[in-house]
Order: sequence, then C-alpha cells, then structure tokens
Amino acid sequence: MYFQKKHIVLALLILIPSIINLAVPLYNKAAPEFLGLPFFYWFQIAWLFIAPVFYLTFSKIVSKEK
Amino acid sequence: MIGQDVTIGFITLFIAFIILGFYGRYWRKGNLNHVHEWALAGKKLGTTLVFFLIGADLYTAYSFVAIPSGVFAKGALYFFAIPYVMLTFGIALVTVPKLWTLAHQKGYITASDFVKDRFSSKTLAIMIAITGIVAELPYIALQIVGMQAVLTVMLADFANAQVVQEIALLVSFTILAAFTYTSGLRGATLTAIFKDILVWVTVIAVIIAIPVSLGGFDNVFKNVKANYVTLPDALVPAYSTLILGSALALYLYPHAINGVLSAESAKKLRTSTAMLPFYGIGLAILALMGILVYSVPSAMNFLSGFPESSRGILVVPSLILNIMPGWFSGIALLGIFVGGLVPAAIMAMSQANLLTRNIIKEIKPNLPDSSEIRITKIASTVFKFIALGFVFVVPATYAISLQLLGGVLIAQILPAVFFGLYVKSLKKVPLIIGLAVGITSGIYMVEAANDFGPLTSSLFKTTFGPLYIAVIALAINLAISFGGSLVLKKKDQRM
Repeated sequence: MYFQKKHIVLALLILIPSIINLAVPLYNKAAPEFLGLPFFYWFQIAWLFIAPVFYLTFSKIVSKEK
Repeated sequence: MIGQDVTIGFITLFIAFIILGFYGRYWRKGNLNHVHEWALAGKKLGTTLVFFLIGADLYTAYSFVAIPSGVFAKGALYFFAIPYVMLTFGIALVTVPKLWTLAHQKGYITASDFVKDRFSSKTLAIMIAITGIVAELPYIALQIVGMQAVLTVMLADFANAQVVQEIALLVSFTILAAFTYTSGLRGATLTAIFKDILVWVTVIAVIIAIPVSLGGFDNVFKNVKANYVTLPDALVPAYSTLILGSALALYLYPHAINGVLSAESAKKLRTSTAMLPFYGIGLAILALMGILVYSVPSAMNFLSGFPESSRGILVVPSLILNIMPGWFSGIALLGIFVGGLVPAAIMAMSQANLLTRNIIKEIKPNLPDSSEIRITKIASTVFKFIALGFVFVVPATYAISLQLLGGVLIAQILPAVFFGLYVKSLKKVPLIIGLAVGITSGIYMVEAANDFGPLTSSLFKTTFGPLYIAVIALAINLAISFGGSLVLKKKDQRM
C-alpha cells in the first residue's frame, strides 16, 4: 500500500503545477496587481519560484528510491 | 548614435568568447576522436554544468527575439512561453532520467538509437532522425535572426549596413564552426557558461534600470491596449494548448536530448532539471520588454526608423541601447549575439549526430569510427551554413513562423520516445503510421490555417476555439499509436 501512495504523491507533485498553469481562466485577470504588474503576469512568474519546490521534492523522493 | 564604447565592449568580449571556445578542447581532456567524447563531452557533466548547458538551449536568441517580438505585436498571448518553461521541466523530470539510465546501460547517443533498439525498427528510427534534423533547422535559423537583430541595431548608422552585417555573420559562423570542429561539446559548454553570465547580468541590470527610469510598472500597463494587460477570452484555448504543445515538444528536440545524455548521473540530471524553472524568470523579464518598450519614447522613436515588420525583433536590443550606458550596452548586446551562436552550435552538433549514427550508418553499417567522427564534424559545419544561407534568403519574420512549424513536427515523435520508455504494449507499425499521419495532418493544418500562403499562424480554428496545431496532430498520432497497438495485441491473443 505504501508503494502506491508514494506514486500518487509523485504524480501530484508534477500534476498540481501543470494543471494550475493550464487552467488559464483561473489567473486571467488584471487585479490584484503586484509591483504594478497585472495578476495575469505576476501569478505566472510566481510559479517559476514555486514549481522548483515541487520538482525538487519529486527528485528527492525518486532518487532515494534507487 | 552608436558610441565607440559600445563597439569596444562588444569586440573585447567576443575575443574572450573565441578563446574560451578553442580552449574547450583541453578542458577535462578526453579522446575527441570518439563520438561520445566529442558530442557528449564524455558524459561527465555534473548538476551545475547540465543546468547551464540545457539552460543555454532555453535562453536562445528565440527568447531574446521571438518572444518579446510576439508580446510586442500581439500582447499577452505570447507570455505563454513562461508557463511553458515551468511545465516542460515537470515533463522532463518524468521522462528524461529514464532515458538517461537506458542510454547509459546500452550506449545510446540519440533518441533514435533508443527507438531502434526498443522497437527493433530501422524504419521508425530513421523517420525519427529525419524529423529531428528537419525540425531543428528553423530553430538554428532563428538563432541567426537574433544575431542579425543585434547587428542591425549596432549598424543602424552605416550606409551599407546590409553588406557589413552579412560579412559579420559569415565571420562569426566560420569561427564558431572552427571551434566546434576542434572542441566539440566541451567548447560549447564553456562558452554557454560565459554567455549565461552575460545574459544574467543584462537581465538583472535591465529589470532594475527600466522600472526605475519609468517610475514603476503602473504607468507601463496604462499605456497599452487591453489585450496587453490580460488575455482576450477567445484566446484562452490557444494559450493553454500553446503551453502544453511547446512543453511537450522541448525535450524532444535533438539538442535537448543531447544535453540530457551528457549528464554524469540520473540523480544530478534530476536535480538540475528540477531547478531549471528559475531560468524562466529571466525569460519573463525579456518577454515583458515587449510591453515596456511602449513607455520608452526614445526606444519607440529609434524603432520607428525600421520597417514595421522587423520592429518586433529589435525590441530588446533597442531598449538596451536606449536605456543603458554605452559600455554596458556593448556587454549586453554581445550577450544576445553569443546567445544565438552557442545554441546554434549545440543544435548543429545534435543534427550531425543523427545524420551519421542513425541515417548514414544504417545504410553503411561497417563505417569505421574514424570516418564516423569525421563525417559528424563535417556535417555539423554544413548544417550551420545551411541555416545561415536560409536566413540570407528568407525574411526574418518568416523564419519565426517556421520555428512554430518545427514544433508541430518534433511533437510527433513523442509517442515512440516518451511513451516508448514506459508503455510496454506499444508496437512499431502503429507508431510508424501515427508519426506519418501526425506529420502530414500537422503540415496540412498549418497550411490551411494560413490559407496556403506565407506562414504567420500555428493556431487552427476548431469548435473549441483556436488551438495550437502541434497538440491536435499529436492527439491524432497518439490515437493511432495506442489504438493500433491495442488492435494488434488482440489479434495476437486470438491466434
């Protein structure tokens, strides 16, 4: 059972950032602004900082497995 | 208006670049008469170097030129490049370390090597090699378009700018060809680091200097039309599929696979891939320049001196020239210039590998090692000059559109390469048919979307709205590959 759970976690670590960024209507708005940037822009830029956290966790888990 | 300080900075750094390129030969010495030593730097690149090498493929003239140019002309739609960069590394994490592991065990150098072994099909392997070579060509051409943009801005005052520019490109390419011939991927990796340092310095300086001189971003977004602030609703499907299609395609390009296979271990490859989204930050800043430029009267004034169709590709170099001090502009412009040269070298090398290993060697299986490496080196030189010739003949805006067609083509090798890694039930015949149909339908849709005229769009109008053609063609391809394999499996069971 533990084995399967780990695979679900791994899948989610890749899928969550992907799905959020593909769901464009979620962030296609001008407000709230941040540093003068419309939401549309800073939201996507913010994900460039968040995604590596997901991805590094993924790498750590996979590399430990081997 | 170009001061000497710009030129001096540019030329001094270009000389340093050339020295590094040739020095690469002696760096982490190996026998460069072996293909894997020349083309994969002996597979000894660690986390940091792989990070730079693959990052170098991302920060190409494409990001300096095509993306800001698209944002400048069409607005928010072209910001798709940012989530695409984020997504592509997630896909890479799942697929490429597995490819690396297999390549390490079985001695693959290209994706085609893997496909040939996995499906025991020479036909499929050759088709994949040809797709890779063809899809890569417009990508190299785009690098040259980027270098042209730098030269155009620097030579704006010259009467015979066109001639000077073509000579400058020819000289640069000869130097590039000479050092890739002697140093292989080692030279390219060293120059990639040099290039990345220049690029990051430029990006950081620009992001501080420009908002300061404009008084923040607030005014910037008040100066532009609504489709620059957010995405028009009608373009939402286009945006999502552009993200998805481009993200799926990036790691299928021969140069990306080449970079991956030069890693030292799967673990190091994973770590560097996981951190690569950070690279997208610079790309986002460059993309935003396509909007910022509207608030910089001096840059807009400078751009108005050029024909409307070529203004987009000049956005970044003109902004730099008009906002930064002269000596700094020289450094930054060289960063963009070698930002085109280095990826062009890496790309031509990966094309050459495919040509010799997966096409010529299939026809002449007992080719000796010494001939293999010689043909590979010569081919990599030839491919560079083909791309250069292409740019001299075809107008720049056309080259950018062809790059989108390249994406449509390369995406079609996904079923064999990525799914081939994990799905055991896939069979070669459906994959061959799927690839052929994917490519034919893709090209047809691109032509139809542009009314069989010059290529300006890669979006196909469907009932769901406009969609990126790479995704539609891939869906057809996947349906055939999986559907066909399932039918064959059932047939086998009955017998």
